[in-house]
Amino acid sequence: MRKFWILIKYEWLNFKADKGLLILTTLTLFAGLYGIYYGTTELEKQRENIAKLDVLTEHNVEEMKEKFPGEADAGDIGYYHSTFAVNHPDSWASLSMGQRDVNPYYIKLRLLNLQSQLYDTENINPLKVLSGNFDLAFVLVYLFPLLIIGLCFNILSVEKEQGTLPLLLSQPIGLPLIVGAKLSFRMMIVLGLALLLSVLAMVWGQVMPDVRVALWLGVVLLYCLFWFGVAFLVAALQKNSAFNAVTLLGVWLMLTIIIPALLNVYVAVKQPIPQALELTIKQREVVHGGWDKPKRETMDQFFALYPQYTDTTDIKVRFVWRWYYAFQHLGDVAVADLAEAYQEGLQARHQLVEKLNVLSVPVNVQGVFNAMAGSDLPSHLAFMQSATQYHDSLREFYYPFLFNNVPFTHADYEKEPRHSFTSSPDFATAYSGLFKLVICVLVVFGIGFVLFRLKEASVK
Amino acid sequence: MIKSIARKEFISTLRDSRFMALSIIVLLLLLAATVVGLNSYRTLQEERDVAQQTVNDQFANSVDRHPHRMAHYGSYAFRPKSSISFLDFGLDSYTGAAVFMEAHRQNSANFSQAQQSSSLIRFGEMTVAFVLQMLIPLLIIFLCFGAFTQEKETGTLKILLSQGISLRQVAWAKITGYSKVVGLVVAPALVLASLLLFGRGGFELEGDTLLRLLLFILFYLVYFFIFIVLSVVVSSLHQRSNTALVTLLGIWILCCVIIPKASANLGANLYTTPTKAQMDADVHEEVAKGVDGHNSQDERAEALKKELLKKYKVSTLEELPVNFDGVWMAMGEEQSSKVFQEHFDELTDIFDKQNSISEYASLLNPYLAVRHLSMGMAGSDFSHYTHFQNKAEEYRYNLAQGLNNIQTTQIKYGEKETRLSSDTWKNFKPFTYETPHAGWALGNHLVSLLALLVWLVLVSTVGIRLIDKTKVA
Repeated sequence: MRKFWILIKYEWLNFKADKGLLILTTLTLFAGLYGIYYGTTELEKQRENIAKLDVLTEHNVEEMKEKFPGEADAGDIGYYHSTFAVNHPDSWASLSMGQRDVNPYYIKLRLLNLQSQLYDTENINPLKVLSGNFDLAFVLVYLFPLLIIGLCFNILSVEKEQGTLPLLLSQPIGLPLIVGAKLSFRMMIVLGLALLLSVLAMVWGQVMPDVRVALWLGVVLLYCLFWFGVAFLVAALQKNSAFNAVTLLGVWLMLTIIIPALLNVYVAVKQPIPQALELTIKQREVVHGGWDKPKRETMDQFFALYPQYTDTTDIKVRFVWRWYYAFQHLGDVAVADLAEAYQEGLQARHQLVEKLNVLSVPVNVQGVFNAMAGSDLPSHLAFMQSATQYHDSLREFYYPFLFNNVPFTHADYEKEPRHSFTSSPDFATAYSGLFKLVICVLVVFGIGFVLFRLKEASVK
Repeated sequence: MIKSIARKEFISTLRDSRFMALSIIVLLLLLAATVVGLNSYRTLQEERDVAQQTVNDQFANSVDRHPHRMAHYGSYAFRPKSSISFLDFGLDSYTGAAVFMEAHRQNSANFSQAQQSSSLIRFGEMTVAFVLQMLIPLLIIFLCFGAFTQEKETGTLKILLSQGISLRQVAWAKITGYSKVVGLVVAPALVLASLLLFGRGGFELEGDTLLRLLLFILFYLVYFFIFIVLSVVVSSLHQRSNTALVTLLGIWILCCVIIPKASANLGANLYTTPTKAQMDADVHEEVAKGVDGHNSQDERAEALKKELLKKYKVSTLEELPVNFDGVWMAMGEEQSSKVFQEHFDELTDIFDKQNSISEYASLLNPYLAVRHLSMGMAGSDFSHYTHFQNKAEEYRYNLAQGLNNIQTTQIKYGEKETRLSSDTWKNFKPFTYETPHAGWALGNHLVSLLALLVWLVLVSTVGIRLIDKTKVA
């Protein structure tokens, strides 16, 4: 054991003297700090924007009260008044922003047909979303492997190339101890840095301290171990430093860039999404066709869905709100199948990625992070569903006014349902991802050990 | 002598099986990316063509309607993919494909590819541009890192120099040799891409497309050349191949992975984007209260009434020869469009400012320079997207005003039951979009163009001069 610590001590001295390694580590540290800063400020911005929505709603209600000073027709209110369905972030989202920048985190809703309102995008700068988030998850998933590669690519080969390996081996220590000590020393640095950044991010982002603390740290630890395993495996091949560097970088390139890009192509072909374009076009036809159809026909269709409002009086005038909202409603009913197919298509696409992510550890880990932070696609789909339910509840709220001819008073604004949804973590995905990660780590180290045993240690 | 060094590098590289294996992988990826790109281009383009045709037909064949109903019925603009965007998807996957164009309201483009994908797309897309921008430089690094260090390690550099050749001449000779090798890897893919573009791709051999393609290729050749010279220079400054390689890989990671992301995120942090909800509310308020904040909508309507009654010397709106509703609607459209356009321009301006951080960062980073130029030539950058949105808005405005005009002249005041024959709608020309020309595209990336040229000049003058400092021993 003493020999091990002596080796560690000399590694430390070496490390301190090597400017390149120091720079690399410091760079990673700063990238991590920037990632934490970026994640927290970005999430703070989203929270502020969400808070401002309340102000906008209030403002809108004030305006409505001014516009309709006395009792109003609920039809007018439903038409001019808007509210928001809001997707509050989970506190963990500052560590892993996931798809929260691409997908809108609020939806502006009126009583009109839902489908034409559901897909409005937020103001996003496409160049920014193309570049992606520089959050802690990015630093851990992309940059930490590079740090590990930088620290470990010449772990054994450098001793050979400098001619120090024979000297070392002439001492009463074996090769496994040397490699073990060197690897342990680097692990201490990298894991220390990763854990430090993670804890800092959790404190800074004021995350909900639950089981995810352990889960996150565990995944980070295992992910770093995976890359150390890869470095160990390559070192076991006992080639020169240049070969190691190229091989390790090649593995990084394959796992973090090329395989995901190819998978993306495969998924797009294998699981095509029924285009939402078709849905909106069809809905427009149905909704606008509503104006031209005989009113009786529309109302009968609607009363079939809402028998409680059935009446036998024919609408004689050119325009009444209850007829207008009836054909808006039927517009949604007409495309319900397409809307469902679209959402299911997205869900299926995500599940396919879940299945394929065994091919790339970084994709898996990114998925685990996003699932934990509630910032992945399923979480957005859950929000869309929640927004749909909210729209239903708005309908339920307004229909009695419309169909029973109840005037809408100022006091009724208070009674209007409000929406709130907070992304929740998906532990099932996280645990299955963790399980896959453990297997990958074991496999890599297993192969590394076997190779080390098989290959005769050569000093030259 | 220079020629023979160049030939030696060329031939010895071809004999290096590891390098050849890497080249073949890169070449295969390049070919795969071309096919994938073309395939995805065709699918998307077809989808959008069909959709555009559908909505155009629906509009032209609409039943008899009141013109204002048609204005609300509206139309869609689907963004056609630029013909060489199959080489570089650029921002296309992140920008919306469809704009709904209706009266009173300006909608943004919805339905981007990114919204329909899982997080996989964030790891990058397999496109020709991706291989050219990120993988070829890596290949170049592996090719060139030992340019000088290997000669030093084997002691051949001294022998070479004793032949009466200067260090710089050695460098240029090596650069020439490596350039040939890179050309050998890249050329087949570029030729294939061009053939697909103009041959079976079904594109017409248009002057502008050709110019865009040529510039596209040219920019990448300059980019590769910069990387080759840079790698040779870095190699000359090191004594050992290992350290030269590690340094070069570090530069690659910084240029291709870290800086692009950091600069885009920094831009977004520095200039805050207003939310859509806030923007909508602001537009709504300004339209309702009047642009100048003085007279409200009702006051403006009163003023217009008085003005028209006076102009036509009649006492009631019914007596007017024009339909007041139509005139009022047209005025409202004009006002609201102006307000919206102001806000839209403001937003575009903020995005431009955010993106300018990346543009200026290209002075530090040739990768960013070529990325912007490549997207620009492929017609998949931000300015092309804005151009499309502006064209769609222009069409929307003219459509709404055309329908308002019909209401003004053909419909009686207060008459809401009148239906105009469906032939009326056939007179409206459907939305068409033409990509602006290459010169326009280039003009949007002058900083990047300058950056690429500065890099070219810097590496081939200052860079090469640095080689003199190398320690031969």
